[in-house]
Amino acid sequence: MNNKNNHYDVIVIGGGITGAGVARDCAMRGLSVLLLERFDYTNGATGRNHGLMHSGARYAVTDKESATECIEENMILRKIASHCVEETDGLFITLPEDDLGYQKTFVEACRAAGIRADIIDPAEARIMEPSVNPDLIGAVRVPDASIDPFRLTVANVVDAQLHGADSLNYHEVTELIISQNRVVGVKARDMYTGEVKEFYADVTINAAGIWGMLIARLAGITINMFPAKGALLIFGHRVNKMVINRCRKPANADILVPDDTVCVIGTTSDRVPIETVDDMRVTDEEVRVLLAEGEKLAPSLATTRILRGYAGVRPLVAADNDPSGRSISRGIVCLDHEERDGMAGFITIVGGKMMTYRLMAQIATDMACSKLGKNAVCETATTPLPGSEQQKPASGKQAFAINAAEGRHGTFASKIKYESDTDRAMVCECEGVSVAEIRYAVENQHVPNLVSLRRRTRVGMGTCQGKLCACRAASLLGRFSGNIAKAQCDLAQFLDERWKGVKPVAWGSALREAQLTATIYQGLCGLDKAIARKEDEK
Amino acid sequence: MATTQLTSISDHNFEQCLKCSICTVYCPVAAVNPAYPGPKQAGPDGERYRLKDPKFFDEALKLCLNCKRCEVACPSDVRIGDLIQQARMKHKSYRPKMRDMMLASTDLVGTMATMVAPITNFTLGLKPVKAVMHGVMAIDKHRTFPAYSQQKFEAWFNKNARDYQNTFAKHVSYFHGCYVNYNFPQLGKDFVTVMNAVGYGVHLLEKEKCCGVAMIANGMYNQARKQGEVNMASMRKSIDQQRPVLTTSSTCTFTMRDEYPELLGINNDGVRDNLSLATRFLFQLVDEGKIKLAFRPEFKMRIAYHTACHMQRMGWAIYSTELLRMIPGLELIELDQNCCGISGTYGFKKENYETSQAIGETLFADIEAAKPDYVSTDCETCKWQIEMSTSVKVLNPISILAQALDIDATRRLNSSEWHRMDA
Amino acid sequence: MKFDTLIVGGGLSGLTCGIALAKRGKRVAIVAGGQNTLHFYGGSMELLGNVNGKDVDNPIEAIAQLNENHPYSKIGADSVAELAKKAKALLADVGIQTIGDATHNHYRITPMGTTKPAWLTIDGMATSDKADQLPWNKVSLVYLEGFIDYPIDFAANGIRQMGVQVETPTISLDCLKRARRSATEMRPTNLAKIFASTSAVAQLAQAINNSCGDADAVLIPAVLGIDNDDVCNMLKAQVNKPLFFLATLPPAVTGVRINAALRHYFQMLGGRYILGDTACKVVTNGDTVTEIRTTKLLDMPLQADNYVIATGSFMSRGLVADFEHVYEPLIGLDTNAPDDHEKWSQYGMMGDQPYMSYGVMTDGNFHPLKDGKTLTNAFAIGQILGGHNPVVMGDGTGVSMITALAVANQIK
Repeated sequence: MNNKNNHYDVIVIGGGITGAGVARDCAMRGLSVLLLERFDYTNGATGRNHGLMHSGARYAVTDKESATECIEENMILRKIASHCVEETDGLFITLPEDDLGYQKTFVEACRAAGIRADIIDPAEARIMEPSVNPDLIGAVRVPDASIDPFRLTVANVVDAQLHGADSLNYHEVTELIISQNRVVGVKARDMYTGEVKEFYADVTINAAGIWGMLIARLAGITINMFPAKGALLIFGHRVNKMVINRCRKPANADILVPDDTVCVIGTTSDRVPIETVDDMRVTDEEVRVLLAEGEKLAPSLATTRILRGYAGVRPLVAADNDPSGRSISRGIVCLDHEERDGMAGFITIVGGKMMTYRLMAQIATDMACSKLGKNAVCETATTPLPGSEQQKPASGKQAFAINAAEGRHGTFASKIKYESDTDRAMVCECEGVSVAEIRYAVENQHVPNLVSLRRRTRVGMGTCQGKLCACRAASLLGRFSGNIAKAQCDLAQFLDERWKGVKPVAWGSALREAQLTATIYQGLCGLDKAIARKEDEK
Repeated sequence: MATTQLTSISDHNFEQCLKCSICTVYCPVAAVNPAYPGPKQAGPDGERYRLKDPKFFDEALKLCLNCKRCEVACPSDVRIGDLIQQARMKHKSYRPKMRDMMLASTDLVGTMATMVAPITNFTLGLKPVKAVMHGVMAIDKHRTFPAYSQQKFEAWFNKNARDYQNTFAKHVSYFHGCYVNYNFPQLGKDFVTVMNAVGYGVHLLEKEKCCGVAMIANGMYNQARKQGEVNMASMRKSIDQQRPVLTTSSTCTFTMRDEYPELLGINNDGVRDNLSLATRFLFQLVDEGKIKLAFRPEFKMRIAYHTACHMQRMGWAIYSTELLRMIPGLELIELDQNCCGISGTYGFKKENYETSQAIGETLFADIEAAKPDYVSTDCETCKWQIEMSTSVKVLNPISILAQALDIDATRRLNSSEWHRMDA
Repeated sequence: MKFDTLIVGGGLSGLTCGIALAKRGKRVAIVAGGQNTLHFYGGSMELLGNVNGKDVDNPIEAIAQLNENHPYSKIGADSVAELAKKAKALLADVGIQTIGDATHNHYRITPMGTTKPAWLTIDGMATSDKADQLPWNKVSLVYLEGFIDYPIDFAANGIRQMGVQVETPTISLDCLKRARRSATEMRPTNLAKIFASTSAVAQLAQAINNSCGDADAVLIPAVLGIDNDDVCNMLKAQVNKPLFFLATLPPAVTGVRINAALRHYFQMLGGRYILGDTACKVVTNGDTVTEIRTTKLLDMPLQADNYVIATGSFMSRGLVADFEHVYEPLIGLDTNAPDDHEKWSQYGMMGDQPYMSYGVMTDGNFHPLKDGKTLTNAFAIGQILGGHNPVVMGDGTGVSMITALAVANQIK
């Protein structure tokens, strides 16, 4: 920890992309910052979306302001986060059941928002993107892209730290310390040790997404938020090279995004009670909707293996003047609680999209700076994130895992040291993760457990969802972190977390894979006995 | 939604892979050469990454022998070997070397060599020549080229056998392959003997080109495709005349039946079902009671049968072994299924010699331990390798049959049979 | 092609049944569509390890507690006891020496350093008589440098929890240098191919002797003896302390050895093992099967008096689950699985997953049912049988061998 006396200029609550972005911006402006995250970075909505870098086209017709924000941030992220972005471009396709007349409205709205939108011939679209539904009657090409939220968030956290910030994951804020109508600090519980620590700050920024509603309640403040669950399915490999969208009013399951080695169809949208948001499970009804609609975008999805399903919760915010929640904004909401609720030293930044996290961070940091009387310019739009300082390194003839690591860590890949033959050994064969990359992640990227390790490296995210690599990675995690017993429990939790996503799609190859995984871990390895023994000790 | 998730067999069959890694147990190369990433990594794992970005193509895939033992072992029916070959075809950046082209152009080199066979055989065996080949051409000096015959099989056939083939009531065409034509006409002669004995006339194809297996292995896909088209055209003509096409080489058969459509995109519809290995053809005739075999009572032989890789992949070894088992005086030992390591031209290359011999080691030891009179296999390159690496000679099952049959008695059995049916 | 019995599926149950029949002089062919799940077994057979959440001491006695659909219930405890003896003898015949018997489970030591009840364990593997106690005071758990398919820290941790002192010396052998150079292929079975050479074994023995201080036993990963146990015995003879093997992650060397031993023995008895070919069509006539077609033998039907279906569970593709149904793909046999895919599994990976107990319906003699009627000359054996969860109950390999032998007995 950089800060010894537990007092900061700013405490940021929430380690999603917004909080990480705020922490970075604050730190770059010379503020002392503490970032607190209850679980792992990206555990909330940040890690549970499409991984789509919107061009803004999706919002062009309905919400010009959002669309403009999107395209501006889109262009910025290409520059500052190049190692997290894949410039795939996107298609908005019109199917026979859709109204081709909408295309014109769409293109005009895009152009008005400053989004390049080229109408292309369906025949050309079929060549450009062979997986697209061949029955399409119209197509528009837009600058959509694919972005990796895990890398993006971690890069922001790492850069915040490089600028002097402190960051703690697995620390849950249990209480806001309030003195004379001012939030002066927080109490946070270490999720592993149970220890409760106190931290103080002049300004506390609530960037906890949907959980921000609960954080605000700690200060007796009500924010009208509506948790909207969105379910998605991950397919086994890349079916499409470009993002495929439906050219119609936004609806269920109308976006198919190529992400790293896989592709993702989504989403659904359903209001859920706030009490349920910590354990989102994909329902069978959602699976059926996603498949039915997904097949319309790319028919081959009907016969492509599904790896897993997952669901996130969008933090939709109702305008303050409308407690009914009918007028939901997807725009950015930044609340100065001093002004709004008479609670000084407390800001909530919410709404928006992953796409616009940087802008959200800028807005919140501007507000914090003005409260602190600090006059500093925001430089996040021009300063590349760590890993993206240079253009992507040209991958030449080198080992598979080294190529894959470069894709994941950008220029930081050079910090992965392959000192022996064993360092080159492949831990996760599906995703090309080496022993050296695991060590790098454990030592540099806040990896208290196997799930975090997965988000940093993609270990266990491939076809088999961690069959052999989970055990290998857990062993290495135990060795590099020095806590072997915990790593063994982590292994069981990790497998269970993988299974949670597989269960909703447990048929076909996914079921076969699950049976083999159980045969190895429950049967051959007797992992169930290790867990039972652990429970006896408790 | 008629097909929704009812099947996961998309164009991307690699998705059926359960990552069980059983294939790696049976890969002969990965066990001995650490430069080769193994079938799982080179096949389904790598394919997923190559779909994301072709830069993930690994040149080390050329170390794959294309033996397809991984496919045979795979419990999930993943076409691992095909994935690897297709990736090589799609992504490779290297051009075939002069040496590879020479090794692969069996027809051209064979024709030239047969014309001057004694000189060729002499020169190919000379130490200085071998040293030049090892150094300049990168053909391993330990290798003895199969001797070239002075008379091509085709020439022998045209001179000695062609004329009386029309006297038979039933007919087949013979795809003899390069090896029979240039190096070992005796197998072709044995084939003619056996087929004639069971009442079939033998004919050559109008045009026969090398099946192209060596060209595929050496990256000469266009040349292989051209030759394949010629073969298919000739075979179609033969099949139109009610003459099925037979071979005595498992590799040629596999290449033309399966690799043509899978790898080269050659349409072999109509041919595939009428292109067979001689042992399968004969077994089926016996099994259906359409022919009868009479064996020489004094014939005694102890045979160790080696299942060639492509034979294993075709799943036809049982035809050859069941046919051999019909011979009363024959004692058959089925060797464990291991690759001999030669894989066509692979083992001839200097850089592969060590790997090649290391792969074959288990098989060679098994052969020596079995102490057979002969090894039998349906593949000619296995024959070279086994004869180069063990003390035992190798015979094709058809040659064994030719020795074991009482030719006259068999001929009588089948001609009388025919006449009776005719009457 | 005509045989007395045709077995579809070349794994543990198919081979066991094939050997039992071929030994009686029957003409038997096995069609195996690829390799099998023996490749995942770490050297022990389990008859019955756990019933109602409790470890079983005497599997034969515990059969009384099983429900009527369990394959053992159909056979009966007395017969299972008889067949279990035969199974052990059959393994000995093929060259696999085991310890253990059916009336008293011992415990195998897992790669995670836990113990699981076992029925038969390949001689030389580490075992214990008790669930939470090991027969040593101090062991040396040898780590081979670079070998990541052996979670040695977990094993050491688990063994320590049983009150045993553990040291974990790392051994770096010259003969493994080449293997370490491969990023993916330093697998147990590839190491076993290196340790097939006597000089590599001698190197290993010397390194073990140099590094195993005052431990009273040495445990090493089971990476020796892919063909037979000669090199295992050679190593034991050269190491100056008692030495035992510990299972690794798959592919398991011991499993590959059992598989090869069974297949060789079957072929030596004259059995035909058709590998890499898939039965794709079964022709039935009323209540009998008349022939089987395969994808590679094409127009050549395989015919027999009796047909044995030993194609395994989902992972072996003996059962198939698609979006809508669970079905048996070869003949369309009746299964005990519901049609709603939501019911096939439940949250909590280590729980008792319903799909694990799915299988084809049979009568008491393992004749399978199709459309509610028995196929009189067909049998189903091994993991394609439902009514038990092999990973929870610890009865997978037992069900495979016992049902195979039970059916072999019925075939005249």
